[in-house]
Parts: sequence; C-alpha cells; structure tokens
Amino acid sequence: MQPGLIRIIAKQEIKTILRERVSWILYLILVGISVVAVYTGWSYVKQFNKQQVAAKNEVTKHWMNQPERHPHRVAHYGYLVFREKSPLSFFDYGLDSYVGNSVFLEAHRQNTVNMSEAGFSNGMLRFGELSMAMVLQMLVPLFIIFIGFHTVAGLKQSGVLKILLCQRASYFDILIGKTVGLTLVAWLLFLPLILLSLLFGIGASVGELTSDIFLRSLLVLLTYAAYLFVISVFVTGISAISKSAGNALISLVLFWILFCVVIPKSAQTLGNRLFTAPDKIAFESAIEDAISKEGDSHNPDDPHFAQLKASTLRKYGVDSISQLPVNYGALVMQEGENISSGIFSTHFDQLINTYKSQNRVSSLLSLIDPYLGIRNISMNLSGTDFETFTEFQKQTEKYRFDKTKKINEIHLTQIRFKNDRDQKVSSKNWQEQADFRFQPVSVQTNLLNSLLSLGALLFWIVAGVGALKYISSKQEYQL
Amino acid sequence: MKNIRKMLYLEAKNFLTGPTVWMGVAAILLFGLYGFYYGTQLINHQEMTINSIADVQKKHLDEVVEHGHGKPAGSTAYYPFFYTSNPASPWARFAIGQRDVNPFTLKVKMLAIEGQLYDSELTNPLTLLVGNLDAAFVFVFLFPLLIIAFTYNIISDEQESGVWKMVSVSNSSIAKSILLKISIRLFAVLVTALSIFTIGIITLHLPLSYPTFQLGVGLLLYLLFWFGISILVVSLNKSSSFNATALIGIWIFLCILYPGIANIGINSKVPVPEAVQTAIDQREGYHAKWDLPKAPTMEKFYAFYPQYKKYPIPEDRYSSGWYYAMQFAGDLESANSSEILFAKLQERQSLSQVTGILNPVIGIQQLFNKVANTDLAGHVRYLNSVKHHHRNVREYFYPFIFEETLTEDLNWHSYPAYKQAGYFQENVSSNVTSFMIWTLLLVGCSVILFKRNFIHIQA
Repeated sequence: MQPGLIRIIAKQEIKTILRERVSWILYLILVGISVVAVYTGWSYVKQFNKQQVAAKNEVTKHWMNQPERHPHRVAHYGYLVFREKSPLSFFDYGLDSYVGNSVFLEAHRQNTVNMSEAGFSNGMLRFGELSMAMVLQMLVPLFIIFIGFHTVAGLKQSGVLKILLCQRASYFDILIGKTVGLTLVAWLLFLPLILLSLLFGIGASVGELTSDIFLRSLLVLLTYAAYLFVISVFVTGISAISKSAGNALISLVLFWILFCVVIPKSAQTLGNRLFTAPDKIAFESAIEDAISKEGDSHNPDDPHFAQLKASTLRKYGVDSISQLPVNYGALVMQEGENISSGIFSTHFDQLINTYKSQNRVSSLLSLIDPYLGIRNISMNLSGTDFETFTEFQKQTEKYRFDKTKKINEIHLTQIRFKNDRDQKVSSKNWQEQADFRFQPVSVQTNLLNSLLSLGALLFWIVAGVGALKYISSKQEYQL
Repeated sequence: MKNIRKMLYLEAKNFLTGPTVWMGVAAILLFGLYGFYYGTQLINHQEMTINSIADVQKKHLDEVVEHGHGKPAGSTAYYPFFYTSNPASPWARFAIGQRDVNPFTLKVKMLAIEGQLYDSELTNPLTLLVGNLDAAFVFVFLFPLLIIAFTYNIISDEQESGVWKMVSVSNSSIAKSILLKISIRLFAVLVTALSIFTIGIITLHLPLSYPTFQLGVGLLLYLLFWFGISILVVSLNKSSSFNATALIGIWIFLCILYPGIANIGINSKVPVPEAVQTAIDQREGYHAKWDLPKAPTMEKFYAFYPQYKKYPIPEDRYSSGWYYAMQFAGDLESANSSEILFAKLQERQSLSQVTGILNPVIGIQQLFNKVANTDLAGHVRYLNSVKHHHRNVREYFYPFIFEETLTEDLNWHSYPAYKQAGYFQENVSSNVTSFMIWTLLLVGCSVILFKRNFIHIQA
C-alpha cells in the first residue's frame, strides 16, 4: 500500500468528476428533488399531526365534559386514540402510510388500528413515496453509478491503466484510490444535504433538538455515509471487472434495478410464503374459541365463573351475590376482561412474531442487497418502522385494559348491584383518568432491531474491500 | 425486393444472436410466470377466506341465539355480527391493485354503521409497503426496461463499431435500414408481450371477454408508448451510453419520481380529516342520546320508520326500541362527514385520473386496476354494498325488537342475504386515448429527428 499514490489518484478522481458538467447537472437535479422531498415531507407531517392533535383534543374535551353516567356506559363510550408521526418521519416515511392512524378503545373488544393513508389512496401510492430517504437510498446510488461507471473501465479503454501499472503502481492502490475519490465526492455533495434537510425539518417542526433526536440524526448521517461508501466500492469494483465503460454502465444499472426493485419485492413475498400469517377472520375466531374454552361470562353454568362466584361469596362470608358489599356484575366483567385481554395478547404476540419472521427474510437478504439494509436501518432510526407501530398497538391495548379496569372498579364500588342500570356516578371519576401518551421506542431498541441490517452493512464494507483486493490480484481484470 | 428480404434476414439474425436479447426475454418471462403464480396465490388465499365465511357466520349466529335463549330479541340483537365479502373479479389475479390494503371481508353489527366500515384487515405493513410482484407490476414496471434494453443501441452500437459507415452509403439505404431495425425490435417486443399475456390468460383463467380485451389493448398501447420513447431517444443520434442513461432517467422519472410527487400532491391537496371526524361524530351522536330525553331521538327514527310509532317507548326506563333508535341517530349525525369523506375520495380518484392521462405509467396501472375492479372506486362500491346490507339486516330485525319477540321465537338466519357489489364494467377510453396521443406525438417527433439527424441532404 502506498498512501501517497492513493491520495494522488483519489484527488485526481475528485477533480475529474467535479470538472464535468454532467456531474453538476445531475447533482442539481438531485438537490431540486431533495428540496421538494423535504419540503413536502415536512409540510405533510405537520398538516397530519395538526389534524391528529385537533381530533385528539376534541375527543379529550368530549371525554372530560361527560355528564354523570353509569360506568359501563362509559366503558362502551370508550376512547379514541390518534397516532402521531415521529419527529424524523418527514425524512423517511417508512411504514407510516400503510399503518392505521386511529384506534377505538372500548370494553370487551380489541379493535384494529384503522384508517391508514393507503386505505384512502388510489394505487399511485404503490409506486413509492418521494422522501429524502428515497432520494438517498435509490437516486444517489444511481448518481454514483453515472459519475463512476467509467472510473476504471475508462482507464482500461484509454490504455492509461497499463501505463500506471508499468510505473510500479499497484492495481489495488488504484482501486482504493478510485473508491476513496468516488466516496469523497459522494460525501462532499450529499452529507451536507442530509445535514441541512435534517436541520430544516427538525427546526421547522419540532423546534428543539432533544438528545434523542440529535443521536438519531447523527446515526442517520453515519449510516448513510457508510452506505454511500459501499455503493462507491461496488461501482469501482464493477467498473474494474468490465471490459468497457459501456458494459460497466449496463451492468451497474441492472444491479441497481435488481437491488432497489426486484430483490426487495421478492424478499418480502418469499418471507410471506415461508411464514404464513392468519387473516383477520381466522385470527379472531381462534381468540373466540380460546376465550369460550377458558370461561364464558355469559353462561350461568360456566365452571370458571361458578368458581369465581363461590370464592367471592366465601371471601365476604355471605350466601348470595345481592348481599355482597361490592357489585358482583362488575367483578364478572373484569374477570372476563382479564381472560380476553390475556388471550388476545398471546395471539397478538404470535401474529407479530410471524410478521417479524417474514421481515427477517429481507433483513437477512440485506447481506446480498445493501439497499435492504439501509432501508431497514433508516426506518428504525426515523421511528417509522415495524417496531414503533407494534409498540403503538401494544401501548394502546394496555391503556385500554387499564382504563377499562379503572371503570370496572368504579362500577364495583360505587354502583349497587340492585337496580344497577338506573344508577349514575359523578363525572369527576372520568376526569381524573390519565390521558394516553405514546412512549416511543428508544434508540437503543431501534438499533438492536436493526442489528442484522447494521451487520450486513458492515459486511458489505469489509467484503467490498476484500473484493477489490481479489479483483486487483487477477490478471484478466487489468486488461 | 430480394434485397430487402436479405437485409431483413441478416438484421434479424444479427439481433437475435446477441446474448442480451435472450437474457432479457428469459428474465421477463420468469418474472411474468412468478407474477402469475403470486397473483393466483394471493387471490386464492382471499377466496378461501371468503368461502369460509358462510360456516363462520352460521356457527357464530347459532351461538349467539343459544345464549339469548329466553331473552327478548332486542337484547340478543346486540351480539351478532353479519359478514360481508368482496370477492375478487377474475382479473384481480392479474392486477391485485389495492386488494391487499383494503379489507375484502367486513362484519357489521346492527349498531351504528359508520364506526364499523373502516376496520382494517390484518396484514404485515412491510409487505404492503414493498408491494406486490403481480403480472401488472411486470408489465408496468419491468417491460419498459426490456424495451429499453432492446433499443437503446440500435444504431449507436453500429456507429461505435464502425459498421454504420458501410450502411450509410445512401439516403434510401439509411432510411430502409433504420426502418428495418426498428420493425424487428418492435416485432420482438410485441411477440414477447403477446406470448406472456397469452400465458397469463391461460394460467390465470382470464375469461375471453371484453375486460380481457381492455387489458390487452391497454397493454399493447402502453408498450407502443415506451417503444416511442426509445425511438425518440435513439433519433437524437447520440452514443449508446447517452441513450441508456437518458432512457433509464426517463424510466425513473415516469415510474418513481412523478408518481411519488403526484401522490403527495393529491394527498395534501385533498386531505381527509373527515375519516376521523366521522368516527367521532357517530360516537358522540349516539352516546349523547343516553343522557337526553327519549322522545326527540324517537322522532328522528320515526321520520324514517313511522310504522314503529305504535310501540310505546317508556321515558323512565331502558327499552330496546330506544337503543336501536339511538344507534340509528348516531349514523344520521355522522352522515354529513361520511358524505364529505366519500366525495373527497371521489375527488382523489378524479385527480389521479388526470395525472394518469399525463403519465401513461400511472395511466396503465389505473387501467389495469379499474378493469380488475381492484382500485379505490371498487372498494367504495364494496363499502356501499356493506351499508346496504346493514340496512337490510336492521330492517329485518326491527319488527322483532319492537314486538319484544323471544329470541327462540324468530328465525335468525332468514335475514336478507348479502348482495355483493358485483363486477362493474369500467370505461377506460380516456386512458386508451391518452396512450394513443402520446405514442403518435413521440413517433411524429422521432420521424422528424431521424430525418434531420441521419438523412443528409446531398448537394
């Protein structure tokens, strides 16, 4: 290794690329697209969150202003929770458009999170959404391909490579120099752009830079830097094994289509084939069956509830439920809630695990497709990933359960068993209950979830340099 | 004449012996077959679920009725779900469209409908994001790439290798040669497309009827449009690298950038806060009634169902008639935001129709989804059929609820059967016309450019 030579070649490469008008035209087009992407992303997220907060406030107001009501009425009145987008979602939409935006929480029932953007969209959404992340993941690699496809192949065609090799330059040094040059150009042009877009988006929407957002932004910057390096290595490598610059361009474009379009789609359909997830009807009837096996609160002869009755009577030392100091109806309802919530959670966890197994296929395939790797990491860091949405579902279910439990407690202690239906309790009871607050997934958890993809990116860096070493040792690639 | 036949033979031989041609055809064929397999699998799975509904419904209803033994119908009527389904059209296997996003079965109770229409199906969101690799995707996304691969270096390749100089000895031979080259490529593209489409018709069991014809014509014109783009770029008389770069650039713009921008544009131009508003309104509209005097609620109900006026509704205690009247009132009060929501969805649909006319890539996707009834409009038709069923079910049970019939004394299974939305024959003439206009424009420009760039005026 001759660091001096590498530096010279890298410098030369940077100069050549930056001297060309085409590079700058392509760059300006990408900057234009990025501006559009960041601005529309930011304004869309802002508008969306505003809409969600308005709806949330309306629901809270209605909740607080409830008149005196019977607790079980309130349990069925329920609560609506609205999902807001994460601070960095303007940068990477991730799954946001495909997951539900509001969920109705009521007693006895676990409702799905409904009203996704995709459900109200025509098919156009399926072409992909323009975001800064999409620009960086798909278009910037294409830019690197266009400025770099002739980097080594061009030297071969013009015969310069032979001259360099005769002057005792090692082929490996040349390849490394070319890679470094290409990477530096990519970093020079795009890292500031990422930084600016993050600063603008965060500054204009969140207003303050929390340590969490700072850390996430920093990691976004670092991982994209690594991704651009991987792409540069790849472009240099393909250029080095191609007979002519034209061949290099065609192969690189084919790889791009393979990496960005074909493999991601195939990976996901493969995952779905390997791990079959139940549809809604099957999922719900499995839960129903499990619940009626465990205990049926509607059936007076059900052994589970007969036992509950016996033990409650024993506990209070009375002979009939009408003599109990507490409302037995509420006790039965809470027991039913305990059973159904427990069973639902088990089934839901199974479902999520199936989905995770499906998604793991595409994480694994990031070992052969760097695009998949950066896509997963970027979603994770932006808080628009699978984990964040699952967490939202779990937290709303927990909130639903706790709220219903509190209402049942009020029912238990403040409503007499006799003439149960005709009684009401003070609205203060509802006003004291805590509002739903989503606790986002921590960066650590996010990183842990993208461990496989991070590993794949690291693998690409090491394997890429290894591949350059291999290419440089082969006589046939020097001609 | 003999000369032309010989040239044609040589040119065809030259084209067909290149490795890229067969690799490209093999790849597209492979993807096509996978697309057919994938579409069939996905829709078959949905059909299986739909077919299981009848049993699920019967079992569910029997259980509810058994539990309700001895209780009045109004109390039992709270529990049962009534299932509906949106079976796929035969063409959905070709273009899955939004069928994976939108629920294809919905179950509704006799309670207020608006809160029940938007329940989502359980799906892995990442699968939805990545999208389907169905036949439509292969034709919309991948086929243009094959066309680009076939055509980008028609002339530039021979110019770069020096062969062109021998061809271009006279203007008539240039024109003839260019025409020959183009026709052979066009022929190859059309034969490949037609073969894959025919395999599709056979494997997907597409009926040989008008909708299949619509798909075929749309596809043919769409491919001609892309061929026109390729020819236009070639007619600029630039290098192979330039042609490839320019064509890929156009592909990315039309297939990725333009739809991405247009989609965000439409969604922010027509936001749908009404979706959430409908849910809120319905919930408030119904629940507030519990705390209000019963007579006004009943009046709202009687305006639509005067025949139930004769049943007394006591003001001081709960009654089933009042309960279902409250639910009905909830729907009445959210009707406004629901109507706005549907109108806005219609507006989104028409806006994307316009964008589809400007960009044939979006246009063909819309055409496929329209013909397959797998677009948003198809889903809205389904939702309306669910609303209709909900009304039929309610109206069937109302007399028993008001009469306070005992659960066991009425037939719970003989409510009016669910009537499917059915296949809706779409008009795709606007898309087809736009393809033709685009293609004619492109070919016209190419002819002019070919004349200017290749045919030299001899002094």
